[in-house]
Amino acid sequence: MKKNILKVVFALPLFFFMNSCTDYLDVVPDNVATIDNAFAMRAQAEKFLFTCYSYMPHDADINLNPAILGGDELWSPDDTWAVGDQRARRFLNIAEGFQNIVNPYGGFYWNDLYRGIRDCNIFLENIEKVPDVEETEKRQWISEVKFLKAYYHFYLVRMYGPIPLIKENLPIDADVNEVQVFREPVDSCFSYITELIDEALEGLPVENNDAAMLGKITQPIALSLKAKVLVTAASPLFNGNSDQSALVNPDGTPLFNTEFSVEKWKVAADACRAAIDACHGVGMKLYTYTPVFQDLTDTITNELSIRNSVTEKWNSEIIWANTQSNVDRIQALAQISLDPENLDNTAVRGNLSPPLRIAEMFYTEHGVPIKEDNTWDYNNRYSLETADENISLYLKEGYTSAYLNFDREPRFYASLGFDGGVWYGQGKFDDNEQLYHVEAKNGQWQGKTGQLYGSVTGYWAKKLVNFENVLSPNSLYSVDYYPWPLMRLSGLYLLYAEALNEAEGPGPEVYEYVNLVRERAGLQSVQSSWSTYSNNPTKYTIQDGMREIIHQERSIELVFEGQRFWDIRRWKEATEKLNGSIKGWDLTQKNATNYYIPSIIESQTFGVKDYFWPIQEDEITRNRNLVQNLGW
Amino acid sequence: MSIIQIKLKQIPTNSFHMKYFLFRNSLSVVNVSYNKILFQVLTICFIFFGSNSFAQGQLVTGRVTSESDNTPLGGVNVLVPGTSIGTMTDFDGKYTLKVPSANSVLEYSFVGFVTKSIELNGRSEINVALVTNEESLDEIIVVGFGTQKKTDMVGSVTSISPSKLRVPSSNLTSSLAGRVSGVIGFQRSGEPGADNANFFIRGVTSFGYNNNPLILIDGVELTTTDLARLNVDDIESFSILKDATSTAVYGARGANGVILVKTKMGSVGKAKISVRLENSISTATKNIELADPVTYMKMANEAVRTRDPLGEILYSDSKIANTGLPGSDPLLYPANDWREIMFKDYTMNQRANLNVSGGGGVARYFVSGSFTNDTGIMKKNGTNNLNNNISLKSYTLRANVDVDVTKSTNLVIRLSGNFDDYTGPITGGSDMYNLIMHSNPVLFPAFFPKTEKYKYINHIMYGNYDRGNGAAYINPYAEMTKGYKDYSRSLMLAQFELTQDLSFLAKGLSFRTMVNTKRNAYFDISRFYNPYYYQLKGYDPVSETYIRELINEESATNYLGYNEGEKDINSSFYLESMLNYNHTFNEKHKISGLLVYIMQQRLAGNAGDLQLSLPFRNLGISGRATYSYDDRYFAEFAFGYNGSERFAKNERFGFFPSLGLAWSVSNEKFFEPIKSVVTNLRLRATYGLIGNDAIGAPEDRFFYLSNVNLNDGGRGAGFGRGDGASYSLNGVSISRYSNPKITWEKATKKNLGIELGLYKDLNITVDFYTEDRTNILMDRSAIPLTMGLAATTRANVGEASGKGVDLSIDYKRSFSNGKWLTAVGNFTYATNEFKVFEEPTYDEAYRSRIGNPINQVYGYIAERLFVDDEEAENSPRQNFGEYGGGDIKYTDINRDGQITPADQVPLGHPTVPEITYGFGFSAGNKSFDFSLFFQGLANESFWIDVNGVDANGNPINTSPFQGETQVLKAYADSYWSEDNQDINALWPRLSPTINQNNAQTSTRFMRNGAFLRLKQVEIGYTASENFLKKIHASTLRVYLNASNLLTFSKFKLWDVEQGGQGLGYPVQRVFNLGLNLTFN
Repeated sequence: MKKNILKVVFALPLFFFMNSCTDYLDVVPDNVATIDNAFAMRAQAEKFLFTCYSYMPHDADINLNPAILGGDELWSPDDTWAVGDQRARRFLNIAEGFQNIVNPYGGFYWNDLYRGIRDCNIFLENIEKVPDVEETEKRQWISEVKFLKAYYHFYLVRMYGPIPLIKENLPIDADVNEVQVFREPVDSCFSYITELIDEALEGLPVENNDAAMLGKITQPIALSLKAKVLVTAASPLFNGNSDQSALVNPDGTPLFNTEFSVEKWKVAADACRAAIDACHGVGMKLYTYTPVFQDLTDTITNELSIRNSVTEKWNSEIIWANTQSNVDRIQALAQISLDPENLDNTAVRGNLSPPLRIAEMFYTEHGVPIKEDNTWDYNNRYSLETADENISLYLKEGYTSAYLNFDREPRFYASLGFDGGVWYGQGKFDDNEQLYHVEAKNGQWQGKTGQLYGSVTGYWAKKLVNFENVLSPNSLYSVDYYPWPLMRLSGLYLLYAEALNEAEGPGPEVYEYVNLVRERAGLQSVQSSWSTYSNNPTKYTIQDGMREIIHQERSIELVFEGQRFWDIRRWKEATEKLNGSIKGWDLTQKNATNYYIPSIIESQTFGVKDYFWPIQEDEITRNRNLVQNLGW
Repeated sequence: MSIIQIKLKQIPTNSFHMKYFLFRNSLSVVNVSYNKILFQVLTICFIFFGSNSFAQGQLVTGRVTSESDNTPLGGVNVLVPGTSIGTMTDFDGKYTLKVPSANSVLEYSFVGFVTKSIELNGRSEINVALVTNEESLDEIIVVGFGTQKKTDMVGSVTSISPSKLRVPSSNLTSSLAGRVSGVIGFQRSGEPGADNANFFIRGVTSFGYNNNPLILIDGVELTTTDLARLNVDDIESFSILKDATSTAVYGARGANGVILVKTKMGSVGKAKISVRLENSISTATKNIELADPVTYMKMANEAVRTRDPLGEILYSDSKIANTGLPGSDPLLYPANDWREIMFKDYTMNQRANLNVSGGGGVARYFVSGSFTNDTGIMKKNGTNNLNNNISLKSYTLRANVDVDVTKSTNLVIRLSGNFDDYTGPITGGSDMYNLIMHSNPVLFPAFFPKTEKYKYINHIMYGNYDRGNGAAYINPYAEMTKGYKDYSRSLMLAQFELTQDLSFLAKGLSFRTMVNTKRNAYFDISRFYNPYYYQLKGYDPVSETYIRELINEESATNYLGYNEGEKDINSSFYLESMLNYNHTFNEKHKISGLLVYIMQQRLAGNAGDLQLSLPFRNLGISGRATYSYDDRYFAEFAFGYNGSERFAKNERFGFFPSLGLAWSVSNEKFFEPIKSVVTNLRLRATYGLIGNDAIGAPEDRFFYLSNVNLNDGGRGAGFGRGDGASYSLNGVSISRYSNPKITWEKATKKNLGIELGLYKDLNITVDFYTEDRTNILMDRSAIPLTMGLAATTRANVGEASGKGVDLSIDYKRSFSNGKWLTAVGNFTYATNEFKVFEEPTYDEAYRSRIGNPINQVYGYIAERLFVDDEEAENSPRQNFGEYGGGDIKYTDINRDGQITPADQVPLGHPTVPEITYGFGFSAGNKSFDFSLFFQGLANESFWIDVNGVDANGNPINTSPFQGETQVLKAYADSYWSEDNQDINALWPRLSPTINQNNAQTSTRFMRNGAFLRLKQVEIGYTASENFLKKIHASTLRVYLNASNLLTFSKFKLWDVEQGGQGLGYPVQRVFNLGLNLTFN
């Protein structure tokens, strides 16, 4: 008996464990986070809204914004900032014409922005489910997300031209054939983008009343993006571009229109006008600096009006600035050590180097191009000249520099640092006292010291540096952050002038908006400058001449802001502009005579194919319906 | 049903013998020295009490010994066949038995010996010498949840005698390749504690996450490292299950094959003590040769200038001229041979094992303790007492005890623990080797000697060179001697097994349950200085020495810092309950049945993530039924029905059946005429389905759930003016999309085996197999980026197939004069190919993986080096960055005018060898034995690393100069230079950084991984009986062995077995002296 009991006892575990069989594998407790939780309540849904914003390209990062080092506005040593990883090479490669299809520089946007678009769509699909969000707020959020979806599409169109439009998400387990989407004609792309912006408008606030919300999308932002989209659509790159006529989908659909339509410029001009009105409606105006600490000379006040229109956060002409990309590192890359007592500050690099052609792009003090000014000796621009007392706020008195650096417009001195140039601010704020200046020849204070520090051209992008940033010992650099400006009122004015000139030819309204910008820069009107000082005094009266003037005005006003890169593409001027040499002064030289000889740093090449990014080859193997851009 | 079942058979069923047996053995456990007296007393008692057993008849006495060494054999069954009359021998091998008649036959049987029958023919004293039967030891094969007789096997199982796994190394896994047919194996590193070999049963047939076999030690799932630490002296049996029928009972876990190890149990008898001591000398098989410092500097300058004529050269002419010059100041012009400075040429390692086994009627025991001490070859710095050399001390304790609780109930308790204590360099030994390869030899000395002037300094004055602002170069000597890391790893296992004979319900029925728990703990701690770095600055004319300047005053410390490293704690629980049935009907019909229920759970203490912290579980029922008729026809059916917690409810359980048939042709009547020649001929065939649930990295558990981070700072956004007026929130990110359809990977396996025995001595086993894997989890790679997915989606869409041959041949022969010879050969060929692989539709057919091996590497065909820049410009554009004359020219396969991934083709052989083989022989006589073993592998390609970096971004490749990488002598001897434009040079045009054009995977750096090596040589001496008597020992063997003595390969840069990891810790050549002593 006892034995049998024992046996039963031994057999028990088997049945005991068999019993719990079905539950044993249910190890996952309730409430493990899944995507449904993201829309369960307002607080969480707002995080998803911010997720949609998180895909905003980081424009202030030289490694992420192709428009900084990918054109001809700025150059840099190979090893900028991140020692060894050569990431700066990424966009210099584009500038030099080394783009490729295997792993295209900047090609990550194809991935990132389509992800952003997918998240925008997820938000739009689910937002109605959230129980505790009020109707107006919900409308606003939906509008913001629609705007972002439009912006992300626009960013891709600028890069790639015609793109697949992801109006709605395909399911995760979609059939392989279904996910192989086609590119859509550029006109469809632009109209879809403007459609989205129009839909977004109604729910957006006129203004961000709460300072903590600055950077969220408002009606003026949406309208000015719409203006920019339509100007882009009307520009020669997208309006009747016959170079691209061979780009057709596998089913034969042409992706580019080849007929120029002046109507597009009219629509664009109207959109610009609407945007300007909306901006004025909320009190925006071109920024001018008013001295607060002390009295300043007009020269310095004017310089700060120019510099601060970019570097003072949320000044009166900022329509849209990207708070997802604060400007810190790029200021350190533009800044050089100015204090002779504290020259080995390793927090600043001074790597961002405007090439000689950018220095030559600025007007003379009379507000006309250096080639046209009948008082300015263009042919002797590389000869030497010594600064006198009259210009001591621009050039160090008694310092010998190239004639190129003399008698230039205020924006030249506000935007550029150079050998002999005075550099206001950065700790020295009294312009009656000795200000900082740059001595950049070999062996001098700011002479190039090795690969990591210094400019490669002999110019610096002073414009990007907030004047209140201070260099202090122990390699400290205190930076006044500002969100990267995506749209300034002066830029919008120039878009309007451009569109109007293209639609109707020169006229008072065209001049008016250009002159507003010139006035703030301390220049006379187009009419008077050209009439008086240009060797082509009637240039502004004909459409082609005025176009040239607007293009140059825009390149000067928005220099270093990542606009020129896209502008010269949409103007189809890149093959002409980006096929020369990048030049700078001869930095290895110790004396002025030898230093001020232009030397070639790099040669650029730009072919028709370079107007658009190549789609990564792998993506095309994954989706045979995607046709590669021409020439790649 | 494991070893217990065998034990049960040994226990006489006769109640008299049972009592006798129990008494005798219980006493033996208590006190050995009184055995004899007690035994005699007891015998008298039995005679008195058990008088009913003594019927009329004749009394027979005698002694049973072992023929080989004349030692008495205790516990031998002495039976009169066909009756219940029998007894067992005592400790001295003596027995007394009353037999019914003077003409009775007596049968003497004992495990491991050939059973002998002797007719009495009237004699009353019979002394018997039993012959050891190695065959019979092999005959019982351990299979899943039980044992089978080799002659009954249907499935494909390789069983190897543990003694053949003994190698002069503390790592068991390094012995598998070539010795076990069906295993593809290779060892990439010789670093103590990190030298586990990679091995795959029948190669790799899945491109999923896990290709490793299931390792079961005493029925419990353990890791490769646990297997590596197992002491060969503790192993009773070692089996590899290869085909569907043998692994079916492991259902969802057996698809990659199963390794089954059983540890020893005690057997009845006097305490048997066995001691083994080994001491070995370990040295690298091959050291990499580097260019001398002068060449290094010249080439470094050339690297800069050849790429940029205006580039700043690193080494001045005077530095080059003075370096290494007799009489020049070695501190000013350092020329470091880092290997010489940091490493010794060889090291000594020790291993010791002691085990005691024995037992009596109630209980039997096997206890063992092992100790191994493996040291590295790093030198110490005498200035402080830090020991930064690798020292891995590993201790193993094991106690296996089995107890007969009742006549029909047996209980086994197994306790074992394995403990590693390691101390060594902070980043490990392999990293030190790597640092040598990636440290500048000429910029600074390893350290500055203490001179009178600096005698007050209490730290080591390490050399370095200021890169500006206190940034320093890597000084490998400082990295090695600045501190040390300790780690401790403990594995504790406790196991309880209970077997109940259920014959009272049905004859041949038994029940067993087993519960095991395993606790694992690991932690490491580093202690280190931040080294003081000095460089020379300016000459002091007074003292006529150079002034030493401290360059990292801010960061250096002369006190120890401390860093807590990784901690890994986990526990497992395992339960298995099983019903077993075994019966023979009418002598010819043998049937057996098995039904097992298993459940297991593993929990990690520091999972790092909610989903990972949830328990890992498996649940299943398995079964097996066998039938055989007349030892000629055999059939076996086995199945596993398993569940895993990783899948959605309706995908959780899988059913994996298999069927096998075998025919012992040589047991047929018609075979009789040739049976003297063909002693054995057997054919086996199996077919079945097996699963694999380890289909994705551990962090990819719960495929049916999405994994979402609802508070991800990386996906946040912020707004506002700043200065207090700002608003930011984190965002949401998805790292996995849910897919409730994901389930097991399945393998359909077919096996055809032939066993052939010729002239008794030669045995050949060949198995042919094919395998079809379906449901392999893979990334859906054909989804374009326009989908905008944040994580790769996956599905069970992949398919692959494998096929191959396992061949083993062994020959054993004993000669009359005590001489013997054995020879063995193993050959494993395993190949595989992709069948279904989701990939884009390529324009170029050669890009498709379908039909190519799983470990096939794709890359470019390198033609040669460009002659000059002009040729480079006029060739198809290569899209990898700057290139010109002297850089590698690739073939434009698709002729589209540029080199892109579309020009990548399958290159060479797979990276996992397709062929592993081994052969060798042993021969000897009573005193001496000698053996040789060769091992090799073939059909493998590897790539010289020209681009790799480790997890921290430090280079681990051979590309000179980038990251201070040294120059291999082979590169210095053959490279393209402007003076010597050798388009076939080994190394392309120099570059101060990695030239991406030259760093592509291509045929240029592909090498053949095939080799043949003399894996092991051993000479042993066994002491004579006379001597043994003097020292009261039963055996004594002294042996000298050596491993990796010779290697045959075309590849000369480093040991070819290390493959692409040539800059790591080299494979070791070991000379070992050992001693094995047993007392009985």
